[in-house]
Amino acid sequence: MGTKKIKTNRRNFFQTSAALIGGSILYSILKPIDSISQSIEEETKDEIVNLPLWGMGIDLHKCVGCGKCAEACKLENNVPREPFYFRTWVEQYTVKKDGDVVIESPNGGIGGLKQSVPIEDIFKSFMVPKLCNHCSKAPCVQACPVGATYLSPDGVVLVDDTYCIGCSYCIQACPYGARFMNPVTHVADKCTFCYHRITKGLQPACVEVCPTDARIFGNLKDKKSDLVKFLQKNPTQVLKPHLNTKSKVFYNGLSSEVK
Amino acid sequence: MPKLIFRLFFSFVVFVSLFIIVQRFLKPDSFGKYGHYRANSIEDNQISTLYYKGEEKCTSCHQDVYDLKYADLHSEVSCESCHPPKIDANTECEVMPPIIKGSIEFCGQCHTFNKGRVKKGVPQLELNDHYKGENCIDCHNPHAPWELKK
Repeated sequence: MGTKKIKTNRRNFFQTSAALIGGSILYSILKPIDSISQSIEEETKDEIVNLPLWGMGIDLHKCVGCGKCAEACKLENNVPREPFYFRTWVEQYTVKKDGDVVIESPNGGIGGLKQSVPIEDIFKSFMVPKLCNHCSKAPCVQACPVGATYLSPDGVVLVDDTYCIGCSYCIQACPYGARFMNPVTHVADKCTFCYHRITKGLQPACVEVCPTDARIFGNLKDKKSDLVKFLQKNPTQVLKPHLNTKSKVFYNGLSSEVK
Repeated sequence: MPKLIFRLFFSFVVFVSLFIIVQRFLKPDSFGKYGHYRANSIEDNQISTLYYKGEEKCTSCHQDVYDLKYADLHSEVSCESCHPPKIDANTECEVMPPIIKGSIEFCGQCHTFNKGRVKKGVPQLELNDHYKGENCIDCHNPHAPWELKK
């Protein structure tokens, strides 16, 4: 095999180089593709900066597992009572003296959680309320093939009911099991942080009814909000940090047993 | 340019421009304003019936009950924790009063002894041993639990 001699001279080389450089500069000035692509305009970017960034703190030292949050959520958001679908629910973790962990959440905790393990076998027990973690890098948003679920500019993961095709990919993608297929509307359903309430200056229903103030809701950008104070005072953790979902639900007092 | 390559190139250009034109017509107006979704859907999500009105709304009429509650152990418990609105609470609570509960099962949601609840500032009781068969509100004032009636 012999090498092919490049049939070109210096003049040709310079001409081609100049054309290429000139062409790319011209392209960067005119930007013909931009008019059809979906880049965010500068004005909307400024709009986003001024918006709040919603998040939630959960103090496990305070949660008593009464299930009022799960009950209020069902009422406020018209979540079907049966079969048992939940936007938020409470799990009871019981670590036995022999090391086994019992996790139970009958009816999502509605009506108060009851201990099924005899008291002499219990090493420790605690309640863990769960809900959508409103991840900043949400796996469900990436999985949606039609753009029906998205992270809103104020940091809430929402579902576009009219766009959802009901393929359930987002339900499989969610590592927290926070999504479900609504049996009435047949579209994906999930916690919205009670978006209709928070945009009117109210607290989400679960936060409103919590009798021990175990749930703290607020704006992560506002340094004076209750949530930011809660995060400053307590060493908090998020669920499944190794997945790097950048969750915005922060737990105080989270044990390693919690999955 | 060979004819074959020209045809290929030509059909490629035709398909791409056709795609762009069709996409322009099919795409909803607000799609892509903030990202790969319909921006108007954010407003759609804001429209929903408010059932829980919030403590301020209750206090606007029931200031006396609020003051009583605030001075006692149930101060952190908001009104609607125990008085959930009726399902069609878009009507005011004057028209449709909230549900009132005071049974031992209801109070037991928080106060039944459970190992997962101890040391959390909520008194834990073996409810069967604690005054069998009576309702909690027969003795306790729910707004001020240590105001005993008996």
